[in-house]
Amino acid sequence: MVSTQAGAGIGIANLPNQRHAIASKKGSNYTILLCGESGLGKTTFINTLFTTAIKTPKSYKRRFNNNTAEKTVEIEIIRAELEEKQFGVKLSVVDTPGFGDYTNNRDSWMPIIDFIDDQHESYMRQDQQPQRQELSDMRVHCCLYFIRPTGHTLKPLDIEVMKRLGTRVNLIPVIAKADTLTPTDLHKFKKRILEVIAAQNIQCYTFPLESDDESSTKRNMNIMAAMPFSVIGSTDDVLTSDGRTVKGRQYSWGVAEVENEDHCDFKKLRQLLIRTHMLDLIHSTEETHYENYRRSQMETRKIGEAKVKTVTNPKWKEEEEALRKRFTEQVRLEENRFRSWEQQLIAERDRLNKDLEAEHSHIKALEAELESMQVGLSPKTRK
Amino acid sequence: MAHRIGRRKNVKKGFQFTLMVVGASGLGRTTFINTLCDADVVPKRECDEPEMAHVEEPIKIKPYTVELDEDGVKISLTVVDTPGFGDMIDNEYCFQEILGYLERQYDDILSEESRIKRNPRFRDNRVHALLYFITPTGHSLREIDLELMKRLSPRINVIPVIGKADTFTPTELADFKKRVMEDIEHHNIPIYNFPYDPEEDDEETVEENSELRSLLPFALIGCEEEIMVNGRKVRGRQYPWGIVEVDNTQHCDFAKLRFALLSSHLQDLKEITHDYLYENYRTEKLSRSAENLSD
Repeated sequence: MVSTQAGAGIGIANLPNQRHAIASKKGSNYTILLCGESGLGKTTFINTLFTTAIKTPKSYKRRFNNNTAEKTVEIEIIRAELEEKQFGVKLSVVDTPGFGDYTNNRDSWMPIIDFIDDQHESYMRQDQQPQRQELSDMRVHCCLYFIRPTGHTLKPLDIEVMKRLGTRVNLIPVIAKADTLTPTDLHKFKKRILEVIAAQNIQCYTFPLESDDESSTKRNMNIMAAMPFSVIGSTDDVLTSDGRTVKGRQYSWGVAEVENEDHCDFKKLRQLLIRTHMLDLIHSTEETHYENYRRSQMETRKIGEAKVKTVTNPKWKEEEEALRKRFTEQVRLEENRFRSWEQQLIAERDRLNKDLEAEHSHIKALEAELESMQVGLSPKTRK
Repeated sequence: MAHRIGRRKNVKKGFQFTLMVVGASGLGRTTFINTLCDADVVPKRECDEPEMAHVEEPIKIKPYTVELDEDGVKISLTVVDTPGFGDMIDNEYCFQEILGYLERQYDDILSEESRIKRNPRFRDNRVHALLYFITPTGHSLREIDLELMKRLSPRINVIPVIGKADTFTPTELADFKKRVMEDIEHHNIPIYNFPYDPEEDDEETVEENSELRSLLPFALIGCEEEIMVNGRKVRGRQYPWGIVEVDNTQHCDFAKLRFALLSSHLQDLKEITHDYLYENYRTEKLSRSAENLSD
C-alpha cells in the first residue's frame, strides 16, 4: 500500500466530506414499525421521540359505529418529513392497530409479517427494473415491540410474534408504560425477558460495541445493557416538586420524568434510534435483512418472475378442510344411494327373470300339452 | 336497609362470602387478593422455565378460604382465583370454563334443595360477586372484556375494577372510567351497580350507593409490603418519584371497595345472588328439562 506523505496531501482524505455533502443533500428514508397491543403508549412514544405530533391520538367517538366483525390487524402508515439543520428525513411510522386486541389472536401476526416481506419484495422488483433511479424504499429499518408491563414474563403471543419478526427486521423489545413497575420489579422483569429471549432463540437487534474512542464504546455498552428498554411517554410539560419544568406524567404522589435516566430508559432508546445508531439500523436492514430475503427468493425464482403466493392462510385451510369433508360426505351419500338403487334394479331384474322363466316353462308345458294333444289328434287326421 | 338488620342478627354467627376474581395475568389479581385478606393467601406466580414460556397454559379455577375479622364480625371468605384467563393466543375457551364452574355450584344447590332429606350442614359454594380486572389501556373496553362481562352477568354480580391503576394520572383515570361506563351502558351489560331506590330508601343509603356507583370501575392498586412514610408504616409501592399508598383514598379506591364487599354490601350481594340470579337459573333449567320431557 502506498501512503501519501503528510503535509499538503493530494486530497483523498477529503472523500468523507464529499460524501457528507452528497448524503446531506439526499436526505434519508427512515421507517419504524410499532408493534404491540393497543393502549401501551405507542402513539405517545412516537410523539415524544420526535417532539412533535406525528400521530394523532385515537378518537373515541366512532368506537360504537365500528362493528369489528372483520377482526383483522390493520397496517397504518403515517408519513412525515422532518428537517434539522438542513438535513431532511422522510420518516414513516407504521402502526398495527388491532394486534393482540381480540379474544382469538391466532395468526394475527400474518399481516405484519406480510407487510415486512412485501417491502423487501417491492424494493427487489424495483431494483430489477430497467429504470431504477426513483426507488420508493419502504423497507422497515427497525421494529419496536411493546411489551405489557405485567412484571411476570413474555406471553406466548409475544414469543410467537417476536420469533417471526426477529428474522426479518431489526427487533428492539421495549417495556411499555414502565412507570407502573418499581425499580426492583423492573430489574427482575428485564432479567426474565432476556432469559426467555435467549431460551426461545429470538433474534433481537445488536450492534458492534467496540468503537474508536472509549467514550463511545462505554456508551454503547450502557445502551446494550439496558435492553429491553423501559419507556415512559409524555408530550406534556409538568412541574416537578423541585421547581423544574420537564416532560413527564403528573401523579398525586409525584412526577415521573421522561428524560430522567433513573426513571426510564427513554434517553438511551432515543440515542439508539436517532442520535448514534440510525445509520447502523438502516445499513443492517439493507445489508443483512434485505440480502437474506433476496437470497432466499433468488434461490428459487428467476429474475422478473412473480412471487408464488402460497395460500397458506390457516383460516382458509380450515375452510378447505371443511369443504373437503362435506364433499366426501356428499359423495359417500350419493354412492350409497346409487348402490342401493343398483341392488334394487338387480333384485327387480332377477325377479322379472324368474317370472319370465316361470312364464317360459309354463309356455313350454302348454306347448308340450298342445303337442301331445296334437299327436293324439293327428294320427286320425293324417290318415 | 334490610341488610343492616340482618347484620345485627348474625353478628355472632359470622358470615360466609364467596368472591371470584378474574383478569389477565399481570394485572395485580393475586396481589389484590393478598392485600384484601392482609395475608399470603395466594402464592405468587412462579415463572416457569424460559424454555417453556411459549407453552400456553389454560385457565384454572382455584378456590382459597380464609377467616377474616372485620370490626368484630367474623367472615369466612372464599376467594376463587382464575389464573390463566386471557393468557392464551386463542381465548374462546375461558368463558365456558368459568360459566361452567358457576353453574355447577347452582346445580349443587338445586339438587340439594330437591332432596327428601336435606343435609343441614350443606356447604353453599355459590359465588356472590365477581371482580373483573380491566386492563388499564387508557382507551376503552377490549373485546375480551365485553365478552366476559356479557356472558357472566346473567349468572353472577359482576363488578368491574381497574387493575394497576397507578399507571394513570388523575385526569386519565377519570376519562378512562367514564369511557368504560359508556361502553358498559352502550352494550347493555347488567353489572352490579349498587342499586338503590330514591323513593324507598333513606337518604344515607341513597348517598352511600350513589357514591359507590360513581366510583365504578374501582381503581385498584395492590401491595403486600409495608414501607415507612413519614415515620409511619403503610402498605405502598415505592417509585423513584414518589410513594403510592394502598389505603389512601386519594390514591386509589381499594379501601372503599373492601368496605363495600366485606361490610356494607355483603348481604345485598348474597341476596341478589340467591333471590334473583339463582332463581333465574333455576327457572331456566327446570323449564328446559320440562321441555325435554314433553318432547
